[in-house]
Amino acid sequence: MRTIHYKIKRFDGKREWYQDYQLQYEKGKTILWALTAIREQLDPTLVFTSACRHAICGSCAIKVNGKSFLACKTSLDEVLETFKSDYLVFEPLSNFEVIKDLAIAWEPKMEKMKQVKPWLIPSNKGSVERGFIQSEDDFHEISSPTDCILCGVCTSECNQLAVNDGTYLDPFILNRAYRFSVDSRDCAPEEHIRPVYENELWKCIHCMQCISSCPKGIPLTDEIAYLRQESIKMGEVNNQGAKHAFAFYDDVRNKGRLNETMLPIKTDGLLKTATTKIPFALRMIKKGKINPFHMPKAIEGIKGVKEIYKYAEEVKHS
Amino acid sequence: MRYAFFPGCTLESAAEELMISTMKVAEALGIELIELKGWTCCGASHIQDIDDFLATSINARNIALGEKLGVSKIITVCNTCTLMLRTAKAKLDKNKKLRTRVNESLRSTGMQYKGNVEVTHLLWALIEDYGLDRLKEKVKRPLTGLKVANFYGCHILMPPKIMGFENHMNPQSMEMIAEVLGAESVKFDQRLACCGFHAVFPAEKEVMNLTGMNCLSPKASGADCLITPCPLCQMQLDAYQPDAQKGFSKDITMPVLHLPQLIGLALGFSPQELAIQRHVVDAIPVLTENVLV
Ligand code: FES
Repeated sequence: MRTIHYKIKRFDGKREWYQDYQLQYEKGKTILWALTAIREQLDPTLVFTSACRHAICGSCAIKVNGKSFLACKTSLDEVLETFKSDYLVFEPLSNFEVIKDLAIAWEPKMEKMKQVKPWLIPSNKGSVERGFIQSEDDFHEISSPTDCILCGVCTSECNQLAVNDGTYLDPFILNRAYRFSVDSRDCAPEEHIRPVYENELWKCIHCMQCISSCPKGIPLTDEIAYLRQESIKMGEVNNQGAKHAFAFYDDVRNKGRLNETMLPIKTDGLLKTATTKIPFALRMIKKGKINPFHMPKAIEGIKGVKEIYKYAEEVKHS
Repeated sequence: MRYAFFPGCTLESAAEELMISTMKVAEALGIELIELKGWTCCGASHIQDIDDFLATSINARNIALGEKLGVSKIITVCNTCTLMLRTAKAKLDKNKKLRTRVNESLRSTGMQYKGNVEVTHLLWALIEDYGLDRLKEKVKRPLTGLKVANFYGCHILMPPKIMGFENHMNPQSMEMIAEVLGAESVKFDQRLACCGFHAVFPAEKEVMNLTGMNCLSPKASGADCLITPCPLCQMQLDAYQPDAQKGFSKDITMPVLHLPQLIGLALGFSPQELAIQRHVVDAIPVLTENVLV
């Protein structure tokens, strides 16, 4: 008989410990099945949350061997195959406050979410009497972001939140801001986007964890790119993130390639670069990593690249 | 074996040692790398934040340069370059309307995106095209006793829909290569962590914290050095290490090598031939102690 070994992180409000459990292997089960079986057969004191068992309520997400999953949607066989091990460690999601064992606190996150006004700010094109008709295309703009079930997997996997002081908005909050800002019935996209911008939007590291782990396949990183584009359109260009992106954008148009020597100056300005990046630059030069006098020449075919930029400008304004 | 080679911007400046070591290793293995003429920066995961259509267009041009060479694959040695090129390709292959528009944009260059070359990374190509057995035969100096910590970096694994070479939650390709070279892979918590490079300007404090953790974790596992398939991870972990150290009381010192440098050592090249002396954190002492006897 094959035995699966579970090590579960426990927390009683004060004390933390790991507890071992064992269950006979059964084929075709889910992570949530294992949790339920442990509670019913081995330890009634184990706390975890779940309700719908159909990937709708979003309450059952936990970490298994360091990765976050929706417990009711995730096959145990798949997880055993992924980690090539019969030893699984269950822990509560990261970047959340833990209430007890695997149960996490959502209230602080909901408070945080309010900042982006996660509700429709209706335009006067619709009303209670007339209704609020949306075209099929317009509906498709919001259909994917509306799939979010607030399970918290994206938050748990977010590399910025792991080191952030809590200001940076959780990916599911960014998704809410996106969802309402692109809704054809909403008349104030800026009211959703400005708080996003003001809460460290440019600190996303592009690690791709959120888009890779979302159980609903929501294209979160594309949404973040959109929110950044919109913040630029709102005039928010005087920040390190936007300036850094523009350094790449401009270098490709002018020469085709990045000028690494000038990058810090374009991002931080001469003064800040001079005061903060000098030791870095000196050690790079000393090791022969940066030649401050190397200025990339324009690439072969730069004319065509400039035409591509022109075309993209036209597309933007069409 | 022939590939169209997309070096990417760092190989021309801050990671020239990766260019040097990649060329040495490719030659020794009999892999022909034909550099794309007139390649541009891939956008480095930044240009789409200004204009995503443009980001796709410039990479359609980069891929079209490879298509002209009549090879079946474009190869890179950078995680982010691989992801940017593959993202553009995935979009263009899926969305006909977008492809038509992008090709309209490429008209002035006299090129067209056809979609008939693949985009790969040296790490993948060694396993799926070259073969580990063949690589093993080429090993002249097995790296016996060298304990390596394989740091994958995010962009060679995710999003799996676009990358998908192996399971992003538990990849094994780096360990497979290390094993063939005779090195021992250590287990460490930050194996699949993010290096933070793409936000080192707007999130400096947070990223330095990440860098420190990424060095301490392999150190605690007894690693002699960290190995990465990405020059951006390498730069973040090596060149910024003295800055990251300031936030930690414990010594975080951890040498960081590019994957081709590790391979090159096993193929018998000296650290100097692979330009290992260029790293900010000196890797040569641990190599001398362990493999260069
Ligand atoms: S129990 Fe409702 S989503 Fe899993």
